[in-house]
Amino acid sequence: MNTGGWIFMLVSLSIVWGTTIWAYTRLLSAPSEKPRD
Amino acid sequence: MSTEKKPMEWGTRLGVILAVSGSAVGLGNFLRFPGQAAAHGGGAFMIPYICALLFLALPIGWAEWAMARYGGERGFHSGPAILGVAGRGRVARYFGVLAILIPMVVYMYYVYIEAWCLRYAWEYLVGGVSLTGSIEEKVRGAAVFFGHATGTNADGVLNMSSVFWLIVVTLNIILVYRGLSGGIEKFCQFALPAMAVLAMIVLIRVLTLGTPDPAHPDQNVLNGLGFLWNPDFSKLTDFDTWLAAAGQIFFSLSVGFGVILNYASYLKKNDDIALSGFTASATNELFEVGFGGLITITAAFVFLGASGVGGGFGLGFQTLPVVFEQMGAAGRWIGFAWFFLLFLAAITSSISMLQPVKAFFEEALGISSGKAIAWVSIICGCGSLWVIWFSKNMVALDAMDFWVGTFCIFLLATVQIICFGWVWGVREGMSELDQGALMRIPRFFMFIMKYVAPAYLLVVLAGFTYYNLPQKMTELSNTPVALWTVIIIGAVIALLLVMVAMGERRWRAAGMDLDGKREVN
Repeated sequence: MNTGGWIFMLVSLSIVWGTTIWAYTRLLSAPSEKPRD
Repeated sequence: MSTEKKPMEWGTRLGVILAVSGSAVGLGNFLRFPGQAAAHGGGAFMIPYICALLFLALPIGWAEWAMARYGGERGFHSGPAILGVAGRGRVARYFGVLAILIPMVVYMYYVYIEAWCLRYAWEYLVGGVSLTGSIEEKVRGAAVFFGHATGTNADGVLNMSSVFWLIVVTLNIILVYRGLSGGIEKFCQFALPAMAVLAMIVLIRVLTLGTPDPAHPDQNVLNGLGFLWNPDFSKLTDFDTWLAAAGQIFFSLSVGFGVILNYASYLKKNDDIALSGFTASATNELFEVGFGGLITITAAFVFLGASGVGGGFGLGFQTLPVVFEQMGAAGRWIGFAWFFLLFLAAITSSISMLQPVKAFFEEALGISSGKAIAWVSIICGCGSLWVIWFSKNMVALDAMDFWVGTFCIFLLATVQIICFGWVWGVREGMSELDQGALMRIPRFFMFIMKYVAPAYLLVVLAGFTYYNLPQKMTELSNTPVALWTVIIIGAVIALLLVMVAMGERRWRAAGMDLDGKREVN
């Protein structure tokens, strides 16, 4: 694999793992839901 | 005693996200994405891919979540009714039949492929897959096994896979009949984590393969990853690459599919939709890029070299069994993990296709959930049997996949973003998204939703029509099975249009706000 391949793969993986972890952290740390009627 | 039906609803915030993610994560993540990326510039494919994600999928996805909850507040849960509300009238409502047609027709062929996954997983579990001889002989053996297992060698074959089809269809019906929180949500809460674990097992095995054959030192894991990820920037000037990226994003994220319109309509006014939409997209991308982008092509390259690597179903069902065979004793269990993973990915998607259709039948005809699922099962079952019967070279399947699973998806996405940005109004839409939001959507997305996404889609639609339609029209006129498949699709559209007209009369008689003219407090 050449340098460009490494860069594209690592940046892409960082983006997808980073955004997923950020989203779930934010979601799970949000105030709990009110009980549904 | 109250005879009023208890309204359907989601159990938890996480539950609805996992259900939407389960709908999005499917076979396309593992089989279609790596093939598309390798064929369109490798790592450089990520540039148009991320552009399509930012300028098309995310904004249109958010628009769907917003329109769905807005329609749900008015008591509507089906695509035509919700688009009628957001699109302020009859034209949008009738275009909304696409939001029922797409999940309905895609379900007809998707459950057939789902049955293949279950059949392969079963065969690996009981040790029923045995490929012997040289690599070439194993490749031939895998193709023969595929033909026998799926019945795609000839038309009119109802074999063992039909039994697996029956199992899969029954499972789908049971899960959808059990309702949102009791069936779909519960199943996705188990299936999504299970898929992540299975994908991780297969990924670790693939990344630790090293150089399995000393006679071919160039066939190693790093070169396998390089085959997919080394960028070829010359492909970026090719319009086809941008078209492929947009197509992959649509195919993968279930945007313009009609599923989110139904799922999000069961949310309450103060439930979050902004972060939920973002999280569902992020989960899908994790499976697609994080797992799909590392597993399939790397494994195929390591054992078979560059010439053995292709994309699509061939890669999943014919090439990878040869790869598992080369892994020795562990191959059987890795093969089982792989095909069970594909099966879970497929069933979480197929249940999401049945649910919006069922909801539409209930809403338009005023029938019970049980009767609706019975009618939907009969119609979809007949369509699915048509695909199974005319399975030679997958002509019926391909015709449905092109005309409905690809073309209609572009069309519905265009209708939706025009309804959202130009009829309902991007300001009203954004304020709906802000209601109960756990994240603030950057305001520049208003500009993207109003101008960039519709323009991008119209260009993609025009390019798609110019590049793909003429060839498909020629194929249609020369292939009777494909032509009859399209005629059947036309009959389904006519049926759905009549049902929308019947629903319109019912909703108006019940005093419902079907044109979205009244405020809801």
